[in-house]
Amino acid sequence: MNPLELTLGVMTAVGGFVDISELVFAAKAGSLFGYALIWAFALGTIGIIVFSEMSGRVAAVAKQPVFNLMRHRLGLKLGLVTLAASVLSTLITCAAEVGGMGLILHYLTGLSYLLMAAASTLVLMASMWILPFKWIERVYGLLGLLMISFGAALVAIHAPWGKIAGGFVPHMPSGLSTKEMLAFAYFVVAILSAVLFPYETYFYSSGGIEEQWGPKDLGTNRVTSIVGMTLGSLLAISILANSAQLFGPVNVGPEVPGSAALEVAIPFGSTGLLIALLGMLFAVAGAAVETCMANAYSVAQFFGWEWGRHKKPWEAPRFTLAWIAFFLISLALVLTGIDPMNLVEYAVLFSILVLPLTYLPLMLLANDRKYMDQYVNGWLAKSLGWLFFGIITAAAIAAIPLYLLTSGGQG
Amino acid sequence: MKPSDPIKLVAELLDLPIMDNDGRFCGIVDDVELKGSAGKETRLDSLLVGPGAYRGRMPRWAFALARIIAGDRITRVPVNQVAKIHTVVTLKCRAEQVGLHEVEDRVRGWIPKKGAL
Repeated sequence: MNPLELTLGVMTAVGGFVDISELVFAAKAGSLFGYALIWAFALGTIGIIVFSEMSGRVAAVAKQPVFNLMRHRLGLKLGLVTLAASVLSTLITCAAEVGGMGLILHYLTGLSYLLMAAASTLVLMASMWILPFKWIERVYGLLGLLMISFGAALVAIHAPWGKIAGGFVPHMPSGLSTKEMLAFAYFVVAILSAVLFPYETYFYSSGGIEEQWGPKDLGTNRVTSIVGMTLGSLLAISILANSAQLFGPVNVGPEVPGSAALEVAIPFGSTGLLIALLGMLFAVAGAAVETCMANAYSVAQFFGWEWGRHKKPWEAPRFTLAWIAFFLISLALVLTGIDPMNLVEYAVLFSILVLPLTYLPLMLLANDRKYMDQYVNGWLAKSLGWLFFGIITAAAIAAIPLYLLTSGGQG
Repeated sequence: MKPSDPIKLVAELLDLPIMDNDGRFCGIVDDVELKGSAGKETRLDSLLVGPGAYRGRMPRWAFALARIIAGDRITRVPVNQVAKIHTVVTLKCRAEQVGLHEVEDRVRGWIPKKGAL
């Protein structure tokens, strides 16, 4: 297997795990609760591996991306509600990524944040116009790997590996007040939502069809989803663990993405800071491309338009107009001056509400022997699928009460 | 499955994507038209494609909104032009021959045809 074939999974995972929301959420989680929330990332990672493998397998065998299934399985009315909710949550996420790029470029250049947000959006749009799908995933997937600097930083600061390993066991820290317990529960729900963002499966399954996967690619699909998602998860856990080690003990609350970059600057100085900021820039840019394309895929697939970036932009004209429009609307949201961190909160909250509707039709189809033949879900995929469906449904029910009770995790 | 086989309309046909014989997506089965009458055999006559076919499938206010955004055109695809029904409805002909792809072709005119690798 050519290692470059993994880039779809790497881009999906780096863009999904290490987007602007993770940079802030993972760092905040580490600073507030030490290593105690690592298990939430690990749990969510198993879930996203299960669902992305399933969506890639359905794409390869039934040649159906997630949103086609959604409409066929949920029907027009419920399908439209899901489409609207998912487009809105992914659009907010895309705007947060555009704002995040503006912030990171502002740190790098000192130029105005809004000017940098506009300039980076134009560069992303140009790259999406010029580059075919394979190159889009390679450029953003591979450059996002600069985020490995966060893992290197964790080694350099002599992290307490025993405590980190203990964080993988589900638990709640002892001695928390009721308010803190609610904030902890909110963080669990928010992390699950951010790890299982629905746009990741829309992008991944559509990417599989862009790459013309068939049953012979099921091995690639399995390796890609396991390796890509595990890598993304480890990067997010590195951010959390660095924060637990460096920020928590001195009561620093990392509220902006720039704080996360300091985790690499502390052991590696200004070179580390530069590498971390560049890694963050490419990871967030990858997430912006991923969210924007996921929205264009969703709308095009729901209404039966020509779609895909393996075609020239004029060969799928309504799809092309859709991704251009989603980028411009995201930029317009940022230019209103809204705080990108507020956008992150709304995106995470809104996504968890959409998750059950996203994953139910996927499981129904992957369980259907008529469509999937010998590639139907086995007992393991079926059991894990229903288990995670139960978990995300419970998280969706708890999300809004927890958000209101904790004022968005403030305790 | 062939279009002449017995079919569960909602579970096996409604809301499936349509692809022409060139492998291009060209719409969704938004509704169907049946031939026959009460007490007699009912057969599938045509597939209805386009936002006009949403009438009756969504609340009146939602259809009014959809009509403002997308119009109310309907294209009828005769069932004898359907080659296969599986996870996608595959046509025997090109989309243009049954009146699909018109909007796609119109929008194509707005997009500059240069610059992409």
